[in-house]
Amino acid sequence: MSSVTYGYGGSARSSASVWRGWDRFDYVMALTAVVLVGVGLVLIYSGSLSLYDGPMTSFASPVFKQVVFACIGIAAMLVVSKIDYHYLTHYAWVLYGLGILSLLAIMVMGQSAYGSTRWFDLGPVQIQPSEFAKLATILALARYFSEHGGDAKDLKTLLISLAIVSPVAGLVFIQPDLGTSIVFFAIWIGIVVVAGANRSHLLVMAAMFLAVLPFLWTFAIAEYQVDRVAVLVDSEEDPLGDGYNVNQSKIAVGSGQIFGKGFTNGDQTQLGYLKVATKDFIFSLLSEEFGFVGCMVVMGLFILLLMRGVRAAQIAGDPAGQLVAVGIVMLILMQTFINIAVNLSIFPVTGIPLPFISQGGSSLVSIFISLGILQSIVMRHRAYRQT
Amino acid sequence: MSFMDEGFRAPGGSSRNRPHGNLGMLRIAVLGLFLILAIRLGQMQIVDGANYAKRSEQNHIYQKNVLPTRGLITDRNGEALVQNVGVYSASILPEALPNDVQFDDWKEMRYRIYLKLEEITGTSALEIQARVEDAEDAGQGYIAIKAADNLTKEQALALDEVAAEMPGVSLAITPGRSYIGGPEFSHILGYIGPQFAEDAARLDGQGYEFNEPIGKDGLEARYESDLRGTVGYSAVEQDAYGRQIAALQSKDPVPGNSLVLAIDAGLQRYTAELLEDTLPSSEWGTSNVGAAVVMDPNTGEVLALVSIPTYDNNIWAESKIRSAELEALANDSTTYALTNKALSSAAPGSTFKIVTSSAGLEEGNINAGTSFYVGCNLEVKGVNNEIYTYKDWRCHNMTMDVRTALAWSSNVFMFLTAGGDLTATRGLGKDIEESGAILATWARRFGYGKTTGIDLYGEDPGRIPDPGWKKRTYVGPGFNAGDSEWLLGDNYNTAIGQGDVLATPLQVARMTAAIANGGKLVTPHIVNEVISPEGETVRTIEPEFQDVGLSESTIRVIREGMLGSVAYGAGELAQIPNASVAGKTGTAEFYDQKSDRWTQHAWFTGFAPYDKPEVVVTVYFDIGIGGTHAAPVAGKILEYYFENVKR
Repeated sequence: MSSVTYGYGGSARSSASVWRGWDRFDYVMALTAVVLVGVGLVLIYSGSLSLYDGPMTSFASPVFKQVVFACIGIAAMLVVSKIDYHYLTHYAWVLYGLGILSLLAIMVMGQSAYGSTRWFDLGPVQIQPSEFAKLATILALARYFSEHGGDAKDLKTLLISLAIVSPVAGLVFIQPDLGTSIVFFAIWIGIVVVAGANRSHLLVMAAMFLAVLPFLWTFAIAEYQVDRVAVLVDSEEDPLGDGYNVNQSKIAVGSGQIFGKGFTNGDQTQLGYLKVATKDFIFSLLSEEFGFVGCMVVMGLFILLLMRGVRAAQIAGDPAGQLVAVGIVMLILMQTFINIAVNLSIFPVTGIPLPFISQGGSSLVSIFISLGILQSIVMRHRAYRQT
Repeated sequence: MSFMDEGFRAPGGSSRNRPHGNLGMLRIAVLGLFLILAIRLGQMQIVDGANYAKRSEQNHIYQKNVLPTRGLITDRNGEALVQNVGVYSASILPEALPNDVQFDDWKEMRYRIYLKLEEITGTSALEIQARVEDAEDAGQGYIAIKAADNLTKEQALALDEVAAEMPGVSLAITPGRSYIGGPEFSHILGYIGPQFAEDAARLDGQGYEFNEPIGKDGLEARYESDLRGTVGYSAVEQDAYGRQIAALQSKDPVPGNSLVLAIDAGLQRYTAELLEDTLPSSEWGTSNVGAAVVMDPNTGEVLALVSIPTYDNNIWAESKIRSAELEALANDSTTYALTNKALSSAAPGSTFKIVTSSAGLEEGNINAGTSFYVGCNLEVKGVNNEIYTYKDWRCHNMTMDVRTALAWSSNVFMFLTAGGDLTATRGLGKDIEESGAILATWARRFGYGKTTGIDLYGEDPGRIPDPGWKKRTYVGPGFNAGDSEWLLGDNYNTAIGQGDVLATPLQVARMTAAIANGGKLVTPHIVNEVISPEGETVRTIEPEFQDVGLSESTIRVIREGMLGSVAYGAGELAQIPNASVAGKTGTAEFYDQKSDRWTQHAWFTGFAPYDKPEVVVTVYFDIGIGGTHAAPVAGKILEYYFENVKR
């Protein structure tokens, strides 16, 4: 059969197995990610100049901290890429259950203590359950379709898959985190399209969605007021009201013009007009200091990375692997798109960071873990193709 | 380590299905979404980039205008009529108040500031809080708002003392004006005030700061560009927290130029008080509106320009505390106190006979020797053989020439001069219409029917009817077919300054000046000189004249008539001991809509001394009799002039 059967060889061969498969490792993808992190470090340095002037090698330095997290993330990617992703799909339901539980837990804790927090505070590290839930949901969807012949043609199958994604997206939505719940549905759409969903089914569902949109809209307005409270509690997210930062980020982006104002020369950023310049609004900082040209380079890197992800889906050895790869591509694509769209004022302000680039450990580590899963799929594709 | 092996068995049956997904869609999604972002980015950075770059600059470079000191205004003798004062207000910059980024207890800190402000200014802390929150909600935390306005000096000092300990709070001083000359000067000086929203864009283009006051009326408005001066500025680079990063450039403001008026403050006050005290009350009703013009016929210098009732123009600066008064003033529909009556028109009545007589003498249909016997009225046989009777104001029962007719203000003589009697006596022209047109032409030569060009806004041009005007005006709904025809009665009405004739006291004074100065129509002016802050003359307002086109003999005859009016005729009460006065009374019938009856305007216009005229005075009351009410007032004004006004 396949190489899978040889896997029962036991621990005697395990020491050698650590060094196996790296010839199939996607170095282009990994290197692109590392370059993006490097861009992030440059921007974080520039964006935190006015806030931090201590030594570079202190753990208080935002750049140093990010380097540390990047190292943890890369290590995690390497480890995960050695794990057969089938372990993950195998335990998909367990992980999915844990994901929902953690989201519920944060809700309960939020009510009792933190108001509207999206993460668990574990000393220096914050863990966002929604990051974990995203991966768990991707695995669960892949697992579900792979058990149903990888086929979403059947309406029942399609609806059940929607039922898998809905509770997670719903829990995130009431946090409230509109952006992340959109990411969830985008992942679902990506997976069911690739899994071969009937177009007419999708069209009918889209029509139904449009029909209930007005009701959702009313609901969302009520949510928005909750969001305003969240803004008050978590001032870092949008300290001077929605309008202020949207305006300042627009000015920052536009004033960068073609070639930018130059490294550490963006006055919107350096004089403190642009808030959260190293986190959610880091793309505005990039636009201001490096201009249209700089933005095109970074967007090109993202496209390269995502195309390598699509390649992973293309060569995946089985439907489960393919669908996991598709889910992860959609995850990175949508987070990137929404974050940049917010920076360009064509999407309401949400708390989604720019993958690989924004300052912040937990999102960096989790995005590298996602890459690790993609690598795991790439490194194992031949095992199936051999037969 | 076994889970790191490739030894895990996939869920059952997976290998029987090859991956079959259509990944082209995914590639299209990736490229499509990034294309959207690239287009938007191109629009923002390339298409609108320059605009955003400018906004970015404005964001951190604060050009703070330093307002210049406004020019002063003095009367002809150097008496100050205005004073520059600082208007103190408590200003809050919401952005600079303690905020959540800096302090945990920022809310309490802010509230303590509001309480302190309440203690000093009296504006409630809750109100201040609400205003700050409104501004922040509107995303305008970077614009300073006023917490309290018009602070007293004590309040201002108290605020200044504690402002240093309250981030975001400062004492703001905006330039204000105090009008110290008295309410008699309000119509002339006008006032300054905040810009109207609709003018803000235009003024911004002229470099006005948004809190910079502008002249709103009177000389303050007319001479705004002189009085304002040049705004200085200091440009600083500032970060988002209001910290000054660097001083870039600065330029000191240049104070505005000052105005020296032709007005004599004492005469202005005396005239206004006199008019107020002598508002006539007679069988014709009670007057509550009056006006007087005193001017130099040889230069056009206006020595006094009075409009009754007066008002206090400090009211706008104190509008917060005097709002009821201001509202009453703005809604006053009895006297319209804000309107300058010296520049508003009314029927000029018999003062207009100067125009009619001049026209007759110049056109030649009468001469200095022409005389008519005038009884009580003039009877004219119309084309239908019907006899029409046109009344004089009294039964003269004497033969009179044009001098006597002016002195006694005979209507019948003026009827015959302007329109003839359609039989033996010829009017100004060969027929009724031509006579009307010629009379109107002479009226316009005397400056009627158009503004005088005085250096004030809001002047009424008045109205001179003629056949063409009537044809255009007396048509349409409410008029009959023959109504627009120019009739003999129109000539007669116009000849005595009634009917459709309207003129302002200033126009009447200007006509009088033309007789006094030998036939020159002078442009009146309030301001004599514009003076630089260093005291040098920037420019002098030179007299401007137009020739009316009167012969010397005509002028002499008219003067003799006017002299007779005061010496023995209708204007006798204008006589004064210190100079010989020549003048003309006027009593114009009009229909008063307020009292719903026919009543009369009272006029007197004259000049003195007769031999060498140096002053013209025109007095107007909305209700009264010219010879009885206006003439004595004019006399008193002239008396004051000769005793007190040093030239």
